Amino acid sequence: MMSAILQIEGLRKQFGGVTALAGVDLAIQEGEILGVVGPNGSGKTTLFNVVTGVHKPSGGRVLWHGRDITGLAAHQISGVGIGHTFQQAMAFPGLPVIENVRIACEHARRSSRAYPWTTPEALLRFVGLSDLAGERAGVLPFGNLRLLGIALALATRPSLILLDEPAAGLNDKETLALVGLVKQLPEHGISVCVIDHDMKLMQMLCRRLVVLDFGSKIADGPIRDVLNDPKVLEVYLGGVL
Amino acid sequence: MIMKSSSSPLASLLPALAVLVVLALVPALGPSNRILSLAISAGINIVALYGLAVLFGQTGILSMGHAALVGVGAYTAAILARDLGIGFWVALPLGSLLAAAVAAIVGVPSLRVSGHHFVIMTFAFGQLLSIVLTNGGAFTGAATGLDLQLPVTWFGRPAGDLVPYYFIVIAFVAISAVASWLIINSSYGRTLRAIRENEKLAASLGINVGRHKIGAFVVSGLFAGVSGVLLAYFFRHISPNQFSAFPSIYLALMVMIGGARLLLGPIAGGILVSFLPEMLNLDPVESRILYGICLIAVILLLPNGLIAGLFDGLRALGRRLVGSAPRPNVPTDGTSETA
Repeated sequence: MMSAILQIEGLRKQFGGVTALAGVDLAIQEGEILGVVGPNGSGKTTLFNVVTGVHKPSGGRVLWHGRDITGLAAHQISGVGIGHTFQQAMAFPGLPVIENVRIACEHARRSSRAYPWTTPEALLRFVGLSDLAGERAGVLPFGNLRLLGIALALATRPSLILLDEPAAGLNDKETLALVGLVKQLPEHGISVCVIDHDMKLMQMLCRRLVVLDFGSKIADGPIRDVLNDPKVLEVYLGGVL
Repeated sequence: MIMKSSSSPLASLLPALAVLVVLALVPALGPSNRILSLAISAGINIVALYGLAVLFGQTGILSMGHAALVGVGAYTAAILARDLGIGFWVALPLGSLLAAAVAAIVGVPSLRVSGHHFVIMTFAFGQLLSIVLTNGGAFTGAATGLDLQLPVTWFGRPAGDLVPYYFIVIAFVAISAVASWLIINSSYGRTLRAIRENEKLAASLGINVGRHKIGAFVVSGLFAGVSGVLLAYFFRHISPNQFSAFPSIYLALMVMIGGARLLLGPIAGGILVSFLPEMLNLDPVESRILYGICLIAVILLLPNGLIAGLFDGLRALGRRLVGSAPRPNVPTDGTSETA
């Protein structure tokens, strides 16, 4: 049996009268690439925001290797080893690419674990942005910004990385490159959780898929089974596949 | 290409130091007392502006009550001299520390709110301090303020006259510029810029955004306190209205006009705003109108300040002379601040 590194129990989030998360249970296993899908407003991004300390949860717990990290501030979440990327505003636009990554490296958590990318240069090489090191991040095309966002999250030396719609706005070639990159992460001891609408991306990346709808989990299992689940087909995929 | 050639951090310090060396030669030209006095008060402002540049230029937080922190330094100097006979050189670090401590006290509650709210909080603080000073009775000298009689000495020799005091101020401007340069090029400076550029992302990378914002305000208070002590020993008489709303707005204006992100910015802004109304022989009302127009013009035309705009202009001119097309996708935004 694999061990869960992140265990989410009954996580709830209310925004006024709106229930964004209605008691979600979710476990992320060590070394896996987990996909989380759901229609707009199903609570995917809220789930990330609550786990990463952007929002405080209204109820429920988040356990990291068994330790309760519910409601820690965003900068503390990075310190325990959970990195994440943003859908929008992925970098520090006014600063050179290399300085973006240097800042992230300077705030990396101390970890005794061997890590393959300890310098800004190594990170830029890994995501393929070495040639753009001197450019201002704000002038990069969208695809490169996504890669830079991933480099920044990786600089913090996470053992789990949460990717929020990493392929949004990317063309097919860029998406393939991204998939190749993300698939390498578990080899380096980094578990991955991806949220996205894009089923093709999920099929390329994940073995296990979770489906959210109206803030609740309606399916969780091997991707083939989930995609054939009549409930999922009806609620979410009916119009897509 | 130009960005590459100036990528050594030292390259950004040298122009500022060169300008200061030139300014240090000014007394040799036998300027009038009026010019020298203006230059001294410009220099005193520039010391505070370097702190404001750390806050506004690097961290992206604007203080509209900065003159109040200068006032803390000035009143510290005057009260220490009056009650304890403590002189200039000891008052400098004490005034600086006290202004930083006040910045921390104001900063902790104020920086819980962000953006425009912080600007309003600092403005309110500035007004509050001026009310407290006005109503402080004999301790603060109330509305008339305080006199300062202790002489400034330099190794036992009097240094309170215009020319020696000018050199003292220039030295503190140089120290401020170097301190500011060290901050800009340190890991700390990069952290502040990260907060300026994208707070959410900064926090996700492990940066304690709130603590660093307060820290930047405290650092700017250190500079403001030094500026205040220099000011008190120059004017020899201080009163609450020197540290109220208008002086605060002028400081913000100077740092915006000069440019908050480049090392030459505070020098340019301080000199320009101090000298321009005098040179044009404007009365206070006219000069306020002129400041207003300048501010609007700078915000609209040169959002990164005069110095950055000047660099951009020179670069564009250089390109035109060489005849090469601009590099695609590289906007000319005044050179990066570490460069």
